[in-house]
Amino acid sequence: MIRRIANNLHIMHNLYFFWALLAIPAVFMILRYLGDPETAFDLIHPSGELSVRLMIIAMMVSPLRQLFGRRGWTDWLLKRRRAMGVAAFGYALLHLVFYLIDMAVWEQIVKDAMIFSIWTGYIAFAIFAVMALTSNDSAMRMLRANWKRLQRFVYAAAILTALHWVYVDGEWRGALIHFIPLAALEIARVAHIFTKRSRSAAQAEAVT
Amino acid sequence: MKFSQALMAIAAATAMQVAVAEPAHATGKIKCEAGPQSGWVSREKLEAELKAKGWKIKKSKVDGGCYEVYGTTPEGDRVEAYFHPVTMEKLLVSRRGKVIFRKKG
Repeated sequence: MIRRIANNLHIMHNLYFFWALLAIPAVFMILRYLGDPETAFDLIHPSGELSVRLMIIAMMVSPLRQLFGRRGWTDWLLKRRRAMGVAAFGYALLHLVFYLIDMAVWEQIVKDAMIFSIWTGYIAFAIFAVMALTSNDSAMRMLRANWKRLQRFVYAAAILTALHWVYVDGEWRGALIHFIPLAALEIARVAHIFTKRSRSAAQAEAVT
Repeated sequence: MKFSQALMAIAAATAMQVAVAEPAHATGKIKCEAGPQSGWVSREKLEAELKAKGWKIKKSKVDGGCYEVYGTTPEGDRVEAYFHPVTMEKLLVSRRGKVIFRKKG
């Protein structure tokens, strides 16, 4: 009993601590903006990049669980996936707000939205918004099987986000470095499923 | 498991190679062969010249041996523009990655 309480008090086991940790960069970004509104421009990239990083880590949880099974660290990640996903949306929102503040002129915002690199970002953001709004237990209960179907839209959002990044930058290196780990894990996951399938098929043949 | 580990090793190696392949400052969009920086006009001079023409400037830096300027054109468009650091000639203008002007040649 005492050990259990001690375990729960242990700061790395505490989910609220984890949420707070994820919020720290946002506090610094907002303070920086309030200190000098001209910095909105400089905050567009870091907020977007952090959003992508959190999305990628959250998306890596499921292939990692399939490849490495249920272990202490994969359990640890799984427990924090929702927090990371919601935080990814939070930083995407901050990214959009800094962008809008920096643009300032309505006609220019509309003109930008017609460009491929920008509308891919808007659609990805819309998907993240729906996912973040349904990232709670009551939405899970209400949507049942549809909840999982809805969450799968994250793959579309990830592809759109990658395109948004590559096309805004006009070059692919920055985005590539971020997306390679996730892409590799997804390939490994598919390979893993196929080798498992062919192995069990071979075993079934050996039995008969 | 072996196969997936091999894949991850390849991916990690690729990522590292990409990361070290080129200095972080050159984006590879455009290059200026403008000689030593001592012969360049200053960034302040370029900015002043652009402001006089009606530009608004957010930020400027050196990229690929050219001056790169983030700002608003006299027409009111938010762009990223490249200028030759000696002649101050406008070389490339893009809006959110979409090229809207490129110097011929």
